[in-house]
Amino acid sequence: MGENSLPGEFDLLVQGTGFTESIVAAAASRIGKTVLHIDSNEYYGGQWASFNLEGFQKHLSESPNFQATQNWNTDESETSEWTKENILKTSRRFSIDLTPKLLFSRGKLVKLLISSNICRYAEFRAADNVCTFEESTSSLKSVPCSRTDVFNSKDLTIIEKRLLMKLLNSFLNYKDEEVPEEFKNYLGKPFLEFLKFQRLTPKIINNVMNSISMCDEDALLEEGIEKTKNFLLNLGFYGNTPFLFPMYGCGEIPQCFCRLCAVFGGVYCLKKPISKIEEKDDEISFTTDNQVIKAKKLVFGSSNIPEELLSSEKKTDHCCGGLSRGVFILEKPLGSEELNSGGGGVNFLKLPGGNGGAFILQLSHYSGTCPKGLHLVHITSKSSSTPSDDLQPFVEKLFTDEHKPLYTAYFTLPSCSSKVSTTENIVECCGTFFELDYDKSIENAEMVFKKLYPDEEFLPRAPDPEEIIIENEDPTAISEHTLPEDLKAQLLLEESSKEV
Amino acid sequence: MSGEIFATLKVLIIGESGVGKSSILLRYTDDDFDHDQNLTIGVDFKTKVVDIDDGKVKLAIWDTAGQERFRTLTPSFYRDAQGAILVYDTSNKNTLVKLESWLNELEIYNTKPNMVKMVVGNKIDKPEREVSRDDGIRFARKHRTLFLETSAKTSEGVKQAFEELVRKIIETEGLCEPSTLYNRGLDLNNEDDGHQSTCSC
Repeated sequence: MGENSLPGEFDLLVQGTGFTESIVAAAASRIGKTVLHIDSNEYYGGQWASFNLEGFQKHLSESPNFQATQNWNTDESETSEWTKENILKTSRRFSIDLTPKLLFSRGKLVKLLISSNICRYAEFRAADNVCTFEESTSSLKSVPCSRTDVFNSKDLTIIEKRLLMKLLNSFLNYKDEEVPEEFKNYLGKPFLEFLKFQRLTPKIINNVMNSISMCDEDALLEEGIEKTKNFLLNLGFYGNTPFLFPMYGCGEIPQCFCRLCAVFGGVYCLKKPISKIEEKDDEISFTTDNQVIKAKKLVFGSSNIPEELLSSEKKTDHCCGGLSRGVFILEKPLGSEELNSGGGGVNFLKLPGGNGGAFILQLSHYSGTCPKGLHLVHITSKSSSTPSDDLQPFVEKLFTDEHKPLYTAYFTLPSCSSKVSTTENIVECCGTFFELDYDKSIENAEMVFKKLYPDEEFLPRAPDPEEIIIENEDPTAISEHTLPEDLKAQLLLEESSKEV
Repeated sequence: MSGEIFATLKVLIIGESGVGKSSILLRYTDDDFDHDQNLTIGVDFKTKVVDIDDGKVKLAIWDTAGQERFRTLTPSFYRDAQGAILVYDTSNKNTLVKLESWLNELEIYNTKPNMVKMVVGNKIDKPEREVSRDDGIRFARKHRTLFLETSAKTSEGVKQAFEELVRKIIETEGLCEPSTLYNRGLDLNNEDDGHQSTCSC
């Protein structure tokens, strides 16, 4: 085997290192499959990648299907600290997500990271504030989440506090088996109608609709109950909000799964396009760097579909991608000083609007994604027109003269092509979805994995470094460590385990 | 033995495939050597508590998990490391030459500008030498790194390498305190991290 050549055969080829593909690669490697994970890009993460500022600018200008526009609006006078040149000097302090996310403290991804023992590769920051936009003052206000926060809040009257607590408790105690009287008449009707009937103040309705449940205006009561309950049940684990943000940006998350895949023997290649994909007699062959490689199965990410797999007719029916994105660099953060006390942190706001509204994330240097003294604002909505048109209503609301962005970028994360031909052994992973957390993408990854390996366990817990025993070690040590059977085999322990 | 652990240090072991990175790691943490180990599978990172003067330091030593082969180590692998051991094979000159690009890689990705680096020539038990000790020292001096020769097989120099690196990290100002720029992030595995307020102080 030459220095730069790959083994000739793999159980699984994964093309693309996006979130979903990386989970599938890790899961396959974890059950002992030989995995080749390849990306034609020179960076990890595909549509889920993070870039430093210069890399981000370059990426936008080199991605014609992103419909990207970029604009600098810095004060170039000598007195100004943040000139364009000075900001670009700190480029490496930025970690700008193509797809920014927040994780529910006990959501699908956090549970998966913990259960599979992948969380040791990442660090998180508890989101500091869940915000609401107060129309009357055109400003961001923190929404009290926990009981203590509600009672300490200066924005609510005593009566409002009581009403809100009572309402939230009634959601928490709601059970399908015994629907309380006040809910009965509204099942199947809009959530908003239900809230209006509860004799609440507009402020509370706004908090519950837009910040806590994050429901669209036409959501039904059932959805409102479920989402409110979910929000409340994710409180109390870390910090004052139900959310976590990955330090240094969401681009870290796919890398965690790639690392796990590599630890279990997965082979990694970046900047390597593949071509000549052919499927014959249950075997797939492809070419990369003039080398023909065989694989039993192939998984690819929808943002980078191999040409051979494009078909002329519509075959699948998925709806991933199609996001309008805005990235803004600010010197003065949105919201009051109180909201950004101590230099800010991770602040989240959901703004209502047509087509599902928009998720807004404001990050300070404490998130590890921008330099000290600057703030990064991400806006994400569904795409229906150009990204700047889609985001205009939100941008106008948020960025008043006081908070003029120094840098503005708009781009689209294109929706995926539905014209793909897949087979039993060639499976597609979806791209990003319009969701705050990663639930749909994880479901997608698990579905792809089950399609490939129906009888195998999806990402069982990986051992801690201390639990890993190397060949020829004292066999009595093994009984002290309770490793699952499949792992022992994988760690080449067959020999020593016979002696146990 | 008592004494508080006063710091956790992240140390990387990098260098070309087959120079003995995992072997050095396993020799140090488990005092073990596997003659046939040719592929790094299952070696992720290892931790070891080290006594330094009157205190203890917890070392988390990260192996490349084989991702060095095609230069595909993730940026997060390099993140926040305080020290790096750059390994070459004394019986293969090319592996020393290639350390240039590994130093370059460190330059691009490391987030701590004063990270401590050590160049280590491994496999000195082998009779066929292509790199003399002086060549190694010259290389290290040129790049301003620490230098040692080791044999993971006989364990010569291995313990000293880590100890010297740790001592240097501790002596380097501002390197082993928690980052002052960012608050320490949450570790989801660490139960103590839950139920805390997040004041930004």
